[in-house]
Amino acid sequence: MSLGLHSFLFRATSLMFVATIAVTACTSTTPPGASTAPSAAAGPVSGGTVTIPIGADPTLNPWSPNAFVESLFINRAIFEGLTKPGKDLAPAPDLAESWTTASDGLSWTFKLRSGVKWSDGKPFSADDVAFTFNDIVLKPDLGAQNRASYAAVKSVTVVDPTTVRFDLTRKFAALPSFLAYNAGILPKHVLSADPLKTTSFNKGIPVSTGPFKVEKYTSGQSVSLVPNEHYFGPKPYLDKVVFTVVADPNTQIAQALSGDLQIMILDNKAAVERVKAASGLVVVSRPLVQYYWLSLNQTDNRFTDVRVRQAFVHAIDRQAIIKSVELGYGSIANSPITPALAAYYDPSLASKYPYDPAKATELLKAAGWTPGANGVLQKDGKPFQFTMDVGQRGVLEPVNALIQQDLKKVGVIVDLNTMEWNSYIQKDVVRREYTATVNWWTYPSDPDVFPYYHSSAAGKGFNIPGYQDPKLDDLLVQGQSASDLESRKAVYKQLQQYTSEVLPYLFLWYPQEIDVLSSSLKGVPELGLRDAMHYLGEWWLAKK
Amino acid sequence: MIVFASALTFFFVNLAPGGPGSVMRFDVDAQQREALIKRMGLDRPVEQRYAEWVGGAVRGDLGTSLLTDEPVSQRVGERLPNTLTLAGAALVLSIALGIPIGLIQALRRGSPLDHILSLLSAIGLSVPVFWLGIVLILLFAVSLRVLPSAGVTAIATDTPFDRLRHLVLPAVVLASTVLPTVVRFMRSAAIEVLHEDYIRTAAAKGLAPRVVLLRHVLRNALIPVVSAIGALVPRLLGGTVVTEAVFSWPGLGRLALEAAQGRDYPLITGLTVVVAAIAVTTSLLVDLAYTRIDPRIRIA
Repeated sequence: MSLGLHSFLFRATSLMFVATIAVTACTSTTPPGASTAPSAAAGPVSGGTVTIPIGADPTLNPWSPNAFVESLFINRAIFEGLTKPGKDLAPAPDLAESWTTASDGLSWTFKLRSGVKWSDGKPFSADDVAFTFNDIVLKPDLGAQNRASYAAVKSVTVVDPTTVRFDLTRKFAALPSFLAYNAGILPKHVLSADPLKTTSFNKGIPVSTGPFKVEKYTSGQSVSLVPNEHYFGPKPYLDKVVFTVVADPNTQIAQALSGDLQIMILDNKAAVERVKAASGLVVVSRPLVQYYWLSLNQTDNRFTDVRVRQAFVHAIDRQAIIKSVELGYGSIANSPITPALAAYYDPSLASKYPYDPAKATELLKAAGWTPGANGVLQKDGKPFQFTMDVGQRGVLEPVNALIQQDLKKVGVIVDLNTMEWNSYIQKDVVRREYTATVNWWTYPSDPDVFPYYHSSAAGKGFNIPGYQDPKLDDLLVQGQSASDLESRKAVYKQLQQYTSEVLPYLFLWYPQEIDVLSSSLKGVPELGLRDAMHYLGEWWLAKK
Repeated sequence: MIVFASALTFFFVNLAPGGPGSVMRFDVDAQQREALIKRMGLDRPVEQRYAEWVGGAVRGDLGTSLLTDEPVSQRVGERLPNTLTLAGAALVLSIALGIPIGLIQALRRGSPLDHILSLLSAIGLSVPVFWLGIVLILLFAVSLRVLPSAGVTAIATDTPFDRLRHLVLPAVVLASTVLPTVVRFMRSAAIEVLHEDYIRTAAAKGLAPRVVLLRHVLRNALIPVVSAIGALVPRLLGGTVVTEAVFSWPGLGRLALEAAQGRDYPLITGLTVVVAAIAVTTSLLVDLAYTRIDPRIRIA
């Protein structure tokens, strides 16, 4: 009897297995790279779809406080600002053709491009610019994203349908650069009642002026763009651009390897060799306007001594950090101005603080910290020990562990307190209840770093360490007041020298972005991928 | 039950450190933070907000998502069918494979086959879902290119067949979290039943082996298994969080993750209520299934 039972069950189960295999087998298709058209054309050709991964559902409104990093891609591709980052990152014309500042520096006048239409066919005018700023950005109770960047702007006045004037409360030389940074102009005729909470716009089909417009928004899945037939410029080459929501970075890599994606940012740099080895993919590195820093809270009097801050920089092996967590894609930072801002960056500072534990020990000794029993530094009988809060994001966890080891070598004991990101922001940024922490700044492509360093921003604004220094304040204001490039260069050279000396933040490194591209994707400018979105109309796919 | 879950969730998520994603940004200054909190009404006491939420919820209004300004019921409604499809497919797969496998193991108890299948169950229980997911993606989507790696459907070709192809890997991975449990329950239940006198009697009467197996062994062994499956449904729904993240499956699990990370209080509460309702409904269904299998319960 038992034999009969067995064989029946066996047949039943193996049938099920076979069925499962059959389902998977009969669904096989040709690999996506295997299309047959011959001849490689030399110049740009039209046609094709490019697929780009994003980590979550985007909010299609550059000023919405809910437009997080995943929203930048599409918002930069569809909305246009008065300016955009040029291929050298200097501000370039977008909706504005030209701009001038008044002789007193207290206003900027922008001449707008004429004949521009919104994607719904309605004309674009200076009224839309005034609406975007006066009714959204400058309204304090709306809490628009980036509004802190426009603290110096009093109001925007329509001079005539193609001219607007920004009136300022103080000089603001960086305004054209800031207007290139997530400052898309919104349509007045569509958004009136609650401009930041219109979900048919933010989560649906927004009206925009760029070369592409939104075709379809499928929550949790994808947003597709098609050419905007009302665009004032040349027709884009691509037929379609699809942004797929792929939350897991490893799945993104798998999709790139299987040919489902044409371009992506490789956040997990550990995968770079694997991706390089894949056929049909190209790996490139791009400069970013970003730097990592270690902030030592200036309310803690151990850190107000500049020798302690300098000693820490000597004690931290930053080259090892770059090699280990960035796989070499980065360079040592000694000031807030990144190499991506080539016109301003001072390369002579790169070797200012070599890795030198002996030098660190010497500086700490000069500051009164001497080794006690068990090698831990002491002053007035108290050991040099403190806690660093670690936000769980990107490379922060391994970086903190490396810094902890390096500081231990010079007798400083660091305890790491790892926290979920949202709670970390509340503790360290909102409440400023921290001793030391590592993070990064990304900022508009301009050396005006006033918001992150001025003493007026200490404790509540973006001056995270709470460093206050009249000389630095003076340099920051000078930078905002100098309007021509040469005098700005001079001021910001001084600022780099000075910040590298006094170390308001301990500068760690300038990261580079690794982008993975399909080898048939052409015309992508050599910018970080989010900046390259401003040039989506120039991208094209070579026929295989 | 559901009211209790909503109250607990509402107060606990509001107690958690942090705040809505728009407020807990690095690049938001104090003034902006204050304006946003006021706009979202989060400057009012928690009790007052809960009272308002309950007032809306009884009328079917679960509030507005803080992250997208869309109604919570709409956001949950969009994702619910996807999660039900995925969890349903995984459950069907687990039952369809788990019961026969458990039965075979019971019949061949102590044989090498039994040991091998037990070992596979143990491996299945201990392998992390995200790892299994990535391995299967690399194998079937990258190397063999027979199945898609993510999403519910291709953007260009949205057909039922295409949806089925997209379902295979996530359903298999999700099933791996409950299949071993189903197998184990089935195996031990069947072993017990096989030792019962009535099985020997049935076989001695000369009934065909398949009749003994289907009518007597299977039916009696299923009773504890069905209750186990009822208890597995919450675990299955929990498993969707990771599975959906790995396979970019737009379901409730991923939504819950986003809602928790962004402290979207109304959305978290709404999701809890919906998931609690699903759990309550399944336990009801399991009770009903009992009465079908076990005549002794039917009278009550």
